[in-house]
Amino acid sequence: MSTAVEVDDLRFAHTGADLPALERVSFRVSAGESVALLGPSGAGKTTLLALLDGRLQGWSGRVSVLGAPLDPDRPPPSARRPDTGFVFQEFALVERSSVLRNVLNGRLGRMSPLRALLGSPTKHDLEIARTALADCGIADLAERRVDSLSGGQRQRVAIARCLAQEPRLILADEPVSNLDPAHACEILALLTGAARTRGATALFSSHQPDLARRFAQRIIGMRDGRIVFDVPTSELNDDATAELYREVGPIPGIGLRAVS
Amino acid sequence: MAFRGFGGIATSGLIAAAILWSFATTDVEFSRLLSAGPRIADFFGRMFPPDPTVMAEIKKGSAETLRIAILGTLGAVILSVPLGILASETMVSPAVFRPIRTLLAFIRAIPLILVAMLMVGAVGLGPLPGIIAVAFHATGMLAKFYAEAIDGVSRAPIAALESAGAGPLVRLRYAIWPQMAPVVARDTIFRFELNLRESLILGIVGAGGIGFYIQTYVRSFQYDKAASVTIAVVVMVIAIEAINVALRRRFT
Repeated sequence: MSTAVEVDDLRFAHTGADLPALERVSFRVSAGESVALLGPSGAGKTTLLALLDGRLQGWSGRVSVLGAPLDPDRPPPSARRPDTGFVFQEFALVERSSVLRNVLNGRLGRMSPLRALLGSPTKHDLEIARTALADCGIADLAERRVDSLSGGQRQRVAIARCLAQEPRLILADEPVSNLDPAHACEILALLTGAARTRGATALFSSHQPDLARRFAQRIIGMRDGRIVFDVPTSELNDDATAELYREVGPIPGIGLRAVS
Repeated sequence: MAFRGFGGIATSGLIAAAILWSFATTDVEFSRLLSAGPRIADFFGRMFPPDPTVMAEIKKGSAETLRIAILGTLGAVILSVPLGILASETMVSPAVFRPIRTLLAFIRAIPLILVAMLMVGAVGLGPLPGIIAVAFHATGMLAKFYAEAIDGVSRAPIAALESAGAGPLVRLRYAIWPQMAPVVARDTIFRFELNLRESLILGIVGAGGIGFYIQTYVRSFQYDKAASVTIAVVVMVIAIEAINVALRRRFT
């Protein structure tokens, strides 16, 4: 089975930070897998996902995404970027634009730069955008402005934008932490289901163990910038999960203390 | 407390000295104020009643001032779009936006009337030097506003488009522009209002517009005609402000 993500001895520190955000991180994700990054706030999940998306530079180690190595010092060539889709915690939509326009934004990397700038999507682009909207159950919202939508609807738009990219790898950073439990399940089912039917690999982060168990085949536990465990979902026991959240006080995000 | 300790005493002393120096060295004869009343009364007396026969001149002058303001604003918008992009932290590196911002500050520091006088010297009398002067002067402020509008948008959608493989200009078009458009509309309308007010006086230096008639009538002691033109100017300013307030409400 081919490899979608391969990370070897990755280390990264934000500028000015004393402790690294990621240290000695190594793992691999096979193509077609659905994997959850589980851990408390401040564990380094967001940083790791942004780095895999090619939006962080200045790290060390070896990282390859969809068979191509990432350069630690420069972003990946734009031709390769659409292959990796990203779903953001805060949706990252253009609020004053329509739903369809936001989904078409996912096509921009697949168009020629001139066509993208002139804003003239081909029939093919429109068809893919409409299919993505239908798959996310929001075909009827196409002409609505995003600022008139609910949180659950917004995340559906964001997932449709990601699908319109025709990604082979879908990265999702806490995609449901802004939603209530019922919507959270719906959205994660949509995200992992869409990845499966398109044969894409899914790597999503969550701080909720039950959601990770339900929607991932494998769970990678992270804490203080390191990987604590990496197990198939069936082998995840409550002790390991408890260990992950041990001593994380009432204020999450304080993390970044040395593992004793 | 603003003035405290030795620094405070020194600052207060300096301000007092500056005021005293201004009184002592300028030719300020307050006795002249006492006799000013009758002269002002005489001046207003000669302005009243305003002479309504100058309607043709008022129409011609107002139309020219309006044209100077419209074309000057258009010129400023055309210059401010590229300069605004080059002055924004979001779009370019510090090596580019710092010198551009300095250039814009320099442009803002030159008074409009001075630019207009230079332009009259360069291209001759009439509305053309006025248009060029307004375009130049307004760019200093408008490009700065545009840059601030670019830098003021939410970053998350820009990151999302970057992740999707869109280049910088495409990100500007689809992630930044939809967010900044209402700000640009408001800033441009505001600058147009300023351009109109400021271009009213351009005629005084021969750069076209209604100011020319005020200048001519005052110099030739036709105060009743000057009064009519002044009333027209006041009406125009109030009308434009009312229109702008109504327009700006739509862009929120």
